[in-house]
Amino acid sequence: MAKSKSRIAAACVAGAAMSALAAGSAGAATAPAVLKIGTLYASSGSFAVASEGQYQGLQFWAAGVNKAGGVFVKAFDKKIPVKIIAYDDQSSTATATTLYNQLITQDKVNLLVADFGSVLTSVAVPLAAEHHMLLIDPTGSGANFFTKKTHYLADVSIPASTVWPIPLGDYLLKQKIKRVAVLYGSNDFDASQANTLKAVLAKGGVKPVYFHGVPTSESNYTVLLHTIAARRPDVVIELGYPPNDIAFLRALSGSGLHFNMTFTIFPGQLLALLTKNVGAKTLAYTYTYPTPPLVKFSHVTSGLNTDDFVKTYTAAKHEAPNFLNAAGYNTGVIMQDMLKTAPQFTQISFDRALLGMSGKTKTLLGAFKMTDHGAQLGELLPVAQLVPQGKGNKIVVVYPKAKATGKAVYPAPKT
Amino acid sequence: MVGLLEYAVIGGILYGLFFSLIGIGLNLIFGVMRIINLAHGQFIMLGGFGAYLLSRDLGLNPLFGIPLAIAGAIVIGYPLYYAVVPRLQKSHDPEMLSFILFFGIAQIIEALAVFGFGADQRSLPGDALGAGNLGVLGQEFPDSWWVAVLVSVLAIGGLYGYFARTKLGYATRAIMADRDEARATGINVDRVSAIAFVMGLALAGAAGVFVPYLLGSVSPDIGTGLTTTSFAIIIIGSLGNPLGTVVGGLVFGLGTMLMQTFYASWSNLVPYVLLVVIVLIRPSGLLGKAVRHA
Repeated sequence: MAKSKSRIAAACVAGAAMSALAAGSAGAATAPAVLKIGTLYASSGSFAVASEGQYQGLQFWAAGVNKAGGVFVKAFDKKIPVKIIAYDDQSSTATATTLYNQLITQDKVNLLVADFGSVLTSVAVPLAAEHHMLLIDPTGSGANFFTKKTHYLADVSIPASTVWPIPLGDYLLKQKIKRVAVLYGSNDFDASQANTLKAVLAKGGVKPVYFHGVPTSESNYTVLLHTIAARRPDVVIELGYPPNDIAFLRALSGSGLHFNMTFTIFPGQLLALLTKNVGAKTLAYTYTYPTPPLVKFSHVTSGLNTDDFVKTYTAAKHEAPNFLNAAGYNTGVIMQDMLKTAPQFTQISFDRALLGMSGKTKTLLGAFKMTDHGAQLGELLPVAQLVPQGKGNKIVVVYPKAKATGKAVYPAPKT
Repeated sequence: MVGLLEYAVIGGILYGLFFSLIGIGLNLIFGVMRIINLAHGQFIMLGGFGAYLLSRDLGLNPLFGIPLAIAGAIVIGYPLYYAVVPRLQKSHDPEMLSFILFFGIAQIIEALAVFGFGADQRSLPGDALGAGNLGVLGQEFPDSWWVAVLVSVLAIGGLYGYFARTKLGYATRAIMADRDEARATGINVDRVSAIAFVMGLALAGAAGVFVPYLLGSVSPDIGTGLTTTSFAIIIIGSLGNPLGTVVGGLVFGLGTMLMQTFYASWSNLVPYVLLVVIVLIRPSGLLGKAVRHA
């Protein structure tokens, strides 16, 4: 009996010890004095404009939360100020690889945020997984990132590029446009959009009359446009990065060629940059995917709504924000909610918190819906046309019908 | 199909002639000084920004960027030459050292350009060089292409005139053939080389004026890519031989445009495949003999 009692006592002690250990591991880490958020930006190179915009948006968010005493971290039940540790990757994936590694292994950041776009994010995805860090991915939307279930990737501010062209494809089918030419950059971001578009069109029995990739660094489109024109398309869709869009639209303007509909991506994200380089007249009647703040979301569950963001950002920075500024800010807002709900201060807990927020969170960029592959499905990007207004152009959303603010001018008149 | 082929061939010739201008400054400097100006593309970029500033701030036609490029080359080129090149020439391996030194200069220029102009793309008014199209054999190209080609041909022709008809040109050719022998015959090698260095930078700057028209826009980061392409062109033609640059430019232009027309995804691979093939078959370049016996 005595033996049995002592066994029970020993079991109780062991159980208590295990419970204590378990509790210890749940709140094992002591609360840091500051929350280190590591990220990269590009001050030069092809992605500089977009990358700096995204970084400025993140800085704007950080300044706002620090003014309020920091972010609330549920795991420690207290507010903690944030500190952004950022390095310049100069738009180089090689440099970015080294710097992401430095953020993880040397700076030991608490949260890792990727640089702009799929190219500069691509090198961070395997690194983050290797080090068991959740990569907060603001705008890297390449389809190849999201092929399997993972705890270490969360696309937060832009839908996966595979879903971008779905409304565009539907629109072309609804308009009964049969002759479609698609010219895309040979990178994950553009190629995955091109392939989705091709698949959507195929469902409606439309096969593109021209479907070719070009190097991401392509800068001369004159001969390409002539080759496309020989196929007599009604619609020409160019999927590229900002320098591609600028070169394409300028070449189109100078070529004397005219198509009934022309679509490019970045007028909907960096309208001021495109207008400065291409001119409002050349941009007139071009179609694009409009993004906030060109389209607005008033009802939000987290952070500022689109209008308030525009006002606050403009007051703070003395310039109107673009989509990349909004994407950077949104990344901060999503991380803030994640920290507010994650019960433990671990990367897996952060990922689970994001999945828990999915479908329930609305921000200035619309609905936040994340899959367990880390892909963002949130707001599908509508189709819009730039219509002349005064000396510039205004955005008219033409599809889907529920979001439409006007009707498309089709075929586009010669400007 | 024939129409597409014609368009690609004519486009390739025009594009190639423009790229001859892009590359010729690099080849001139190498031919005369045996140094590799890795900042060549950055000087092209500065030419583009010069034209942009003249157009935006003074409302001038971008073509005024050409005299500005010449003036800029004089102001930057002479001090840079005397600060750097004579010392490089005294070293045991000027080619390799110039490679490293000009790489540093390229990085400095690019960083300064970002500070000065920002990282984003800049363009020139689309109609400043003509808003229409001109045709040959029924194939039309934008006016700006023709203006760029005309300036390229004039610049390259002028360079030949300089080599063939002026005393300084003869002296330059003598230095290209043998620097020490030229010095022994009483040629002021440093003075002639400095002029060639300035001319190389001026040609690069002048080419930069047309970059926004043929390559869409100018931004601080375009320099490295342009230097690489220039290298491919001058090696295809022949290092140190300006005529080789024209041949290299034409091969590059035709190859790129034919691939854009018939297999677009591979278009930027062409110059480098050609480079490898030509280096393997004819290491001195297509016009290699000319330089060896100059």
